[in-house]
Amino acid sequence: MTGKGRVRRGPFPHRVGIDMSEIDEELGSAAYFAEANIRQPSIWHYIAVAPTWLAAFALFFMMGMTFLDVILRSAISNPIEWATELTRLCMAIIVFASLPVVSWKSGHIIVDLMDPLFSKTLARWRDIIIDLACGVILFWPAKRVWDLAERSREFGDVTEYMAMPQHYIGWFIAFFTFVTAITLVIRGVVRIVRPERMAA
Amino acid sequence: MLESLIGLGAVLVLVFLRMPIAIAMGIVGFIGYMELRNFRASISMVGRLVIDTAQDYGLSVVPLFILMGLFVSRGGLSRELYQVSYAFLGHMRGGLAMATIVACAGFSAICGSSLATAATMSKVAMPQMRKYGYKDRLSTASIAAGGTLGILIPPSVILVIYGLLTETSIGKLFIAGIVPGFLGVLLYLAAVRWTIMRDPEAGPAGDRTDRTGRFEALKNVWAVLLLFFLVIGGLYGALDVWPIHLTFSPTEAAGMGAAGAFLIALSRGTLTFRTTLAVLIETAQTTAALFSVLIGAWIFSNFVNLAGLPEALKAMVSSAGWSPMTVMIMILLIYVVLGCVFESLSMLLLTVPIFFPLVTSIGFDPVWFGIIVVVVTEISLITPPVGLNVFVLKGVIGDVSTGTIFRGVTPFWVVDIIRLALLVLIPSLVLFLPNSM
Repeated sequence: MTGKGRVRRGPFPHRVGIDMSEIDEELGSAAYFAEANIRQPSIWHYIAVAPTWLAAFALFFMMGMTFLDVILRSAISNPIEWATELTRLCMAIIVFASLPVVSWKSGHIIVDLMDPLFSKTLARWRDIIIDLACGVILFWPAKRVWDLAERSREFGDVTEYMAMPQHYIGWFIAFFTFVTAITLVIRGVVRIVRPERMAA
Repeated sequence: MLESLIGLGAVLVLVFLRMPIAIAMGIVGFIGYMELRNFRASISMVGRLVIDTAQDYGLSVVPLFILMGLFVSRGGLSRELYQVSYAFLGHMRGGLAMATIVACAGFSAICGSSLATAATMSKVAMPQMRKYGYKDRLSTASIAAGGTLGILIPPSVILVIYGLLTETSIGKLFIAGIVPGFLGVLLYLAAVRWTIMRDPEAGPAGDRTDRTGRFEALKNVWAVLLLFFLVIGGLYGALDVWPIHLTFSPTEAAGMGAAGAFLIALSRGTLTFRTTLAVLIETAQTTAALFSVLIGAWIFSNFVNLAGLPEALKAMVSSAGWSPMTVMIMILLIYVVLGCVFESLSMLLLTVPIFFPLVTSIGFDPVWFGIIVVVVTEISLITPPVGLNVFVLKGVIGDVSTGTIFRGVTPFWVVDIIRLALLVLIPSLVLFLPNSM
């Protein structure tokens, strides 16, 4: 594919829908992910994979629950009362548990229209600066979300049906935003000290 | 006004420096908001947006529809769709190209990505068309153009994003996309016919499939077709009849679609634990990327609104005395130009916060505008010099020049413009179905 106007790179194309050209040949990103890490499963492997699995599980659960909710409502007029609440919880898990890995693997939507204008060295330093900047920037929202969660803990806010303390979700979001920020900073540092690691 | 324009310029610079669009829009929106108010107000706005967006019930429609698309397309749907279309259309002159158009429309409707459709269908349809001696110009063009069709045919993730950004009913947007989507298919078929009439050698007829063969081919896709009608019918309210009484909110439709697609794939034996996990992870990560840009776009949108850009634009339009249609045509031209540079989603995210308030304030329907925007962005995918679909196809096929593809695409591009003109001049083509909901 020519580089002109191309807006994806890496094994995780940003996309709406899918890129079957990759999936036909292999199992998609999860297989890639497994393959990239599976050679020597270390503690880091499991730490990196756990949130990904958690997100996958939350998604599957949400699908099953929505399905059941509709069936129960239509068949016996008895919908699952806390379905909405659980869906909201699942969404937070799906999005934020995936965010660190997406950030590490360049899964974000980018525009690489200007790539031909950058020499290799220039592109490397551009990427280093962008990674470090994005990582540092993310600390503020993470901190703010943490503060909001703390505030809701002080107020004792709970969810309507399940009476689950609201600040758990806030903590979760803040924690994974922090992890994403750290991931991006590490990526920038790795680009400096071991550029060959990130070149692929 | 000035602040907004500086902000927009800053976003473009950052985006061209390869900063993720999400963070570029977020940081510029944050700093802009801070300049107009103060740090505390701005960081509060960002924090709340992050928390609320992640837990928005309405947004759960996004991963569920993506999941449905992935489950459905995992089992070799592209090939089966092509076989069915071929069984019914292949015996006509240009029939394989027509089959390609129909299969592309079906596949892209489900997978939701023009580029992915062009890449996938080229592997299925191109060898067949070469076997029957189709000229490259027609065969490649039908794939490149066909890929753009399904984005309007629901479920369409890009319409979901538009609906979420503008608080327009997603159900109505989906229903509104049906007529323009199918109109696109018909016009593309006409474009194939036109090409064949001018050059009968370009697309000779294929072998006729008998009734048994057609039935065999249908057997492979009936479940997916049924699922499609269930989801859309449930959204439209067409299934609210005795004894089932099924009506879906968009989230429920997506959940039913995803679960149905999962069950279909499971029953056909195309799913293992590993592939299921792969699909789930893929979906979760696409969702995370989409949500990041949504949050970024909202932060930016808050800043632009606070800075009064929509009002400034409205004032500009009224002082210039332009008619609403003049404004609309100008906006469409801007889209066509931007479409040369940006991919559909990025373009939508960058422009909708700016144009939407203006367009609705001068009396255009938000649902109609959503459809028009998507049609225009899709046209840009096959417009020279940087029609992305054409380049994707060139990348996959290799031995055909982009010039050949662009020449072949011309009749498709012309009917696209005709479709756009029809939709702009006769809004009821778009609005008739959603207004009858």
